[in-house]
Amino acid sequence: MIKKEVEIKNRTGLHTRPAAMLVKLASKFKSDFFIEKNGVEVNGKSIIGVMSLAAEQGSKLILKFIGEDEDEAAKAIIELFESGFGEIEELKKDENRDGSQNN
Amino acid sequence: MFNKEFKEIQKTHITVGFFYESGKELFKLKSLNGEVGFDRKITDKNIHRPGLALAGYVELFTYNRIQVFGNTEIKYLQSLSPEERIKSIKNILQFEIPCVVITNDNLLPDNLLDLFTEKQVAVFQTPLETTKLVYFISDFLDDQFAPQTVVHGDLVDVYGIGLLFVGRSGIGKSEIALDLVERGHRLVADDVVLITKKGENILIGTCNSVTKHFMEIRGLGIIDVKNMFGIRAIRYQKRVEVVVELLDWDPKEEYTRTGLDEEHISILGVEIPLIKLPIFPGKNITVIAEVIALNHLLKHYGYDSAKEFNKNLETILRQKASTIKTADIPIERITRYFEHDFE
Repeated sequence: MIKKEVEIKNRTGLHTRPAAMLVKLASKFKSDFFIEKNGVEVNGKSIIGVMSLAAEQGSKLILKFIGEDEDEAAKAIIELFESGFGEIEELKKDENRDGSQNN
Repeated sequence: MFNKEFKEIQKTHITVGFFYESGKELFKLKSLNGEVGFDRKITDKNIHRPGLALAGYVELFTYNRIQVFGNTEIKYLQSLSPEERIKSIKNILQFEIPCVVITNDNLLPDNLLDLFTEKQVAVFQTPLETTKLVYFISDFLDDQFAPQTVVHGDLVDVYGIGLLFVGRSGIGKSEIALDLVERGHRLVADDVVLITKKGENILIGTCNSVTKHFMEIRGLGIIDVKNMFGIRAIRYQKRVEVVVELLDWDPKEEYTRTGLDEEHISILGVEIPLIKLPIFPGKNITVIAEVIALNHLLKHYGYDSAKEFNKNLETILRQKASTIKTADIPIERITRYFEHDFE
């Protein structure tokens, strides 16, 4: 079993689209995948489950991978979290914009 | 495989502010000193009447509980001189008490309220009688501090029986739930079932406040069961009565053939009948689910199909052993043809 804590980086949190990306990716692996937030654990392959966590930006999640391909699963899924579900670009742009306003 | 270890979640505390917000409606609470002490924690689900502590005996004072001032406490304070009253209140205020509730719309004599405000202790008032209030608060706190768990599955009310479907991701739990809704049954929760233990042996399942009665159907996406099928298709909560585990058909696995031996599964320490259902193409799980519910109802009303069948068989075997054989036919009809009735 692999256990790893991740943080939600994109500003809009784990809303429908990122949740869909996550469960799609997770379903490619044979390993069981669970996500825990504040003691509540849901199945990471269920979109309703993932969305029920209502994980906002900055919230910390514990990911659990159990199964034969847990290493690959963990690597791919953690990478997806790190990338901010492809919404990190948007985040940078927003930061720049905020910055220019301050100037 | 579905996860059979149900992770128990239990609140360690609630804040006084939360207690007040909930209690405004439930116990008609009114705050007498504003929002003082709202961040204090309530860690005990019991309540306490501090009569003896007010009188000075604080040895076994359960100060961490909500302190209820009934008529007795108020009358006792009134019977004291103003100096004694202050001393009496200070007896309990030397401890970190979460909050005070005064029943019967009583008020504290003199300026005793200021002593509580100084020590940052919230004082609430309610028109309810002490016995009623104690009953309501106990019920509320029992629920707040009840063990909970989240199960990945679907909870459906089928003929009044709460069936909890579990099984690996993608085995078709949501599809079965949808099929049951279509047949007139009621969905409680899809995918995320929040289960709370009530009392010693009752499990209540509800849906999550985020996902409500939304459902994911593979290949289709997210649908809203409440809007699509109407109010009759949903309910907010239901007791979990039977767990149905959906399994991929495995010829090596042994499935029950008679139903004489019941299997159970333990959720939060409560034993619930478990039915292991192998699925394969062409098998109508929805109808079987209805039969599971009806069979459970029959058992509840004192009729166990498997046992009755066995009893019938035993009677026939006994009769056969004791009577003279009429014929050598091994299988007998239930009845002879009615005379001249060839329909």
